Amino acid sequence: MNDPTSDDRILRLNAAIDGELDASSWLELEREMGADPALAAEYRRLEALRASMARLAPREPAPKTLADRIAALGAPVAQAAPMPVSRPAWSGARILALAASVAVIAFATGAGLTALRQSATPGVAAGLVSDFARASIAGQPYDVGSSDRHTVKPWLAGRTTVSAAIVDLAAQGFPLSGGRIAIVDRIPAPTLVYRHNEHLVAVTELPPGSEGARAGGSIQTIDGYHVARWSDANLAYVAVSDMDEETLAEFVAAFRQAEKPASEAPAK
Amino acid sequence: MTTAVIGSVAQRRFSDIVPPLLDDAYTLAKWICRNSADAEDIVQEAAIRALKALETTAIDRPKPWFLTIVRNAAISWMAKNRPKDLSYAGDAADLDSIDPRLGEFAPDPEQALIAFEDGERLRRAIAGLPSPLLETLIMRDVNGLSYRDIAEATGAPMGTVMSRLARARASLMKTLKAEP
Repeated sequence: MNDPTSDDRILRLNAAIDGELDASSWLELEREMGADPALAAEYRRLEALRASMARLAPREPAPKTLADRIAALGAPVAQAAPMPVSRPAWSGARILALAASVAVIAFATGAGLTALRQSATPGVAAGLVSDFARASIAGQPYDVGSSDRHTVKPWLAGRTTVSAAIVDLAAQGFPLSGGRIAIVDRIPAPTLVYRHNEHLVAVTELPPGSEGARAGGSIQTIDGYHVARWSDANLAYVAVSDMDEETLAEFVAAFRQAEKPASEAPAK
Repeated sequence: MTTAVIGSVAQRRFSDIVPPLLDDAYTLAKWICRNSADAEDIVQEAAIRALKALETTAIDRPKPWFLTIVRNAAISWMAKNRPKDLSYAGDAADLDSIDPRLGEFAPDPEQALIAFEDGERLRRAIAGLPSPLLETLIMRDVNGLSYRDIAEATGAPMGTVMSRLARARASLMKTLKAEP
């Protein structure tokens, strides 16, 4: 006589109530249960347990707060109040290309579209601002969290074509927090996240001559975030931050100073 | 007044796939981490991962795909924040000690059936399962994934999935029976 408690029969009982048994195995099992009341009783117990779970431990509705946050991730809707429209610096083709490459592009109501502020290359900065806002709201400002350059650099190097310049600014009050990837014009670009008190600054490094590149140290404001751009011989940089303008300027100065090759550093 | 809304391809895919799976995702995360606030964070983290993945991939079978991401996000979250509650590593022996065979095989299942009616006890018994048994049971009985999908999601062979399910259910019955 078969051992009624054999593993195989228990597995087949479970597979039967899970609908994972093929027709012939099912017939075979029914025959065995007919001959063995203990096995049939075990089947009924498993079935009862499964029914109880369905009734007493059901799938729970996700809280509305979560549903809203998830919907926001998928819905490119303006999050901030419409920005002042200076002029419709709009090129349909560019905007469409950008929409495909950045996560959130928002067109405000009212004006019908949001003109990005007076910049020759509005899209890149606006895209990076959206990235920054999204990352901050999601509470996930970086993909690799580390204050160690030697951790962040290889992580970025494995995912981008630009070799990131990573400087240590902890002594100046801007410790490295981590790194992430921004997508700019469909190209992954390394982004470094530095912290200053409770504020963050994200520096995206772009190949020189890319659309987002623009020399000059002036700071503009997009959607309430400050954006600084500069470039050197090797790379163009776009820094987005929720710091005030003066602190961001300080950060940029410190970054540029630290990033200069030793030979260019002013002699002491 | 019109609002022009243009989303990326990834966002369109995301909006089709993820919101309908949110209850499944949330319930799975909540069982694995046993806490609702943490489950919200885990699902959000999983959603961000999913959105990123959808930039380069189209998905054939969204449910097992997204629940796998949720499961992995929950496991890494637990490993990082509450490693002691995550009975995964080094507990193969413990798992084996849970015998899927009940032993008694009482012909009269009445008593067990009554015990199953107590929702609070049932939920406590589920929460007390070791993580590998718990996630397998939830993916099967709550999320309705097939054995094959669960095997792929958990990285375990089919045979292991089957034995984990049998052990999980046997353990529940034992707990419900043993408790006063």
